[in-house]
Amino acid sequence: MTVYQGGLLEVTSVRKRFGGLHVFNDISFTIPPGEVLGIIGPNGAGKTTLINVICGMLAPSAGSVRLDGREMTGMPLHAVSRAGIIRSFQQTNTFRAATVRENISRAVRFSGGGEDTWATIAPLVDEFELYPQLDEQSDKLPYGLQKMLGLILAFAVRPKVLLLDEPAAGLERRERMRVDSFVRHAQTQLGCGVLIVEHDMDLVRRLCPKILVLDSGRVLAEGTPDDVLSRKDVIDAYLGTADEEAA
Amino acid sequence: MQGIVATSLIGISLGAQYALLALGFTLIFGILGVVNFAHGGFYVLGGYIAYSAISFLGMPYALAVITAALGTAALGYLFERFLLDRLIDDHLATLMLTLGLYMMISSGILITFGPQSPAFAFPLTGVLRAYGFYVPIENLVVLAVCVAGIVSIYALIYRTDFGRALRALADDRAVATAQGLRPKVLFPTAFALATGLAGLTGALVTPILSLAPHVGDPVLATSFLIVILGGLGSVGGATVAAFLVGMVEAFSAVYLGGSKGALALFVLVLIMLVVKPSGLFGQRARGA
Repeated sequence: MTVYQGGLLEVTSVRKRFGGLHVFNDISFTIPPGEVLGIIGPNGAGKTTLINVICGMLAPSAGSVRLDGREMTGMPLHAVSRAGIIRSFQQTNTFRAATVRENISRAVRFSGGGEDTWATIAPLVDEFELYPQLDEQSDKLPYGLQKMLGLILAFAVRPKVLLLDEPAAGLERRERMRVDSFVRHAQTQLGCGVLIVEHDMDLVRRLCPKILVLDSGRVLAEGTPDDVLSRKDVIDAYLGTADEEAA
Repeated sequence: MQGIVATSLIGISLGAQYALLALGFTLIFGILGVVNFAHGGFYVLGGYIAYSAISFLGMPYALAVITAALGTAALGYLFERFLLDRLIDDHLATLMLTLGLYMMISSGILITFGPQSPAFAFPLTGVLRAYGFYVPIENLVVLAVCVAGIVSIYALIYRTDFGRALRALADDRAVATAQGLRPKVLFPTAFALATGLAGLTGALVTPILSLAPHVGDPVLATSFLIVILGGLGSVGGATVAAFLVGMVEAFSAVYLGGSKGALALFVLVLIMLVVKPSGLFGQRARGA
């Protein structure tokens, strides 16, 4: 059985701007192998753009992204992916015209995986109740199962670091618990670091020992969920202040 | 009865040629999202490369056909890699680029070889007689090569990792790239494959039909019709539709008269657009 080892993700003083619009400034954090970092913040805070920058879909305006000390900054999406940083998308990220089996098979083959990869995927397929749907076209699945399949595809590439963009969005309560199982499975089987961007605070509290709050493109707070989520400025950023409500 | 069988054989032969041609056209649309207006140009170029290889270099016909396929594939690769790729997501720009390339190919051939058809004949002649049927040998050879080409393309697309990667890119480029696939390598390769198929078909078919700078126009129109009929981007649909078009052309030419073949074809496509706009095997429109 192959033993997988996650990688150390270092994001240092990353900035992103589109023309005159500064999306975020000086964002820095590290995610050691096997650790989970949650990033929360109101809509428009720059969370998804940050994931886009880390995974290579967008080049940063300044700063660096490193994986195990290797410079990833400005590398294209496929190269960052091959290096081991894999992202999921807010919406489903499956090959819609392909069956569930073909989806998984592609992810395994594209990453050069084999039987041992299938063995690590099997428990997830079983837990997400996808076995009866293996020959179903993926866009015919219920939305929740499509999202679960998307997570399995990210796992099947055997990442060193997983970037999950709102994995629980649009899921029912029971399905949200599956995200927990998925993250635990990725940690134990692959040893990978996980970055989760999420609005579901219950899920963030369960999975993330450390969180980082983004607001208007800057780091508003950083620490454990209990500490950070009890801070007034964080609550104000999320829920709005009394003055704003009155206005 | 003999007439129906003989006409069917002509239809199958035509359909195989169209299928080889249309497969390239639909592959480019399905994978790159590009409508390649230069496809007919690569067909003509294939014919002229084969003709030149035989006439000026003294190559045997089989080697000339291979040279034509490789030559058009190489040109397609370079065109996609250095021009098309820069504007791949701009539909209007890719349309203008491929149209411009088609005009350049046609004009280049016209300037180099002149407007008249060169003397380019199929090296094998004769008729095969069996069970009361008469089939030209050249048609049988072309049919055999086209069928071998179609089977090879299917094997490549559905049985190899390269094919899986192309289908993945066709399904969802962002997801495929996020899994480590490289569009900058795969797109020009797919384009080269498609233009190579057009060049191969041109080298095979133009000695039987005709070779002239403008013969790419009807080829492009027929490719369009086939791909619309089969469903945009559908490999299976393009193959079925190509044989359907071949049959319609053959039967309408024999039983309705030569000029009514094209009319029957357009009526067929019109009915399809009304009844099933997505085509025989088409799914929802790209990006919908």
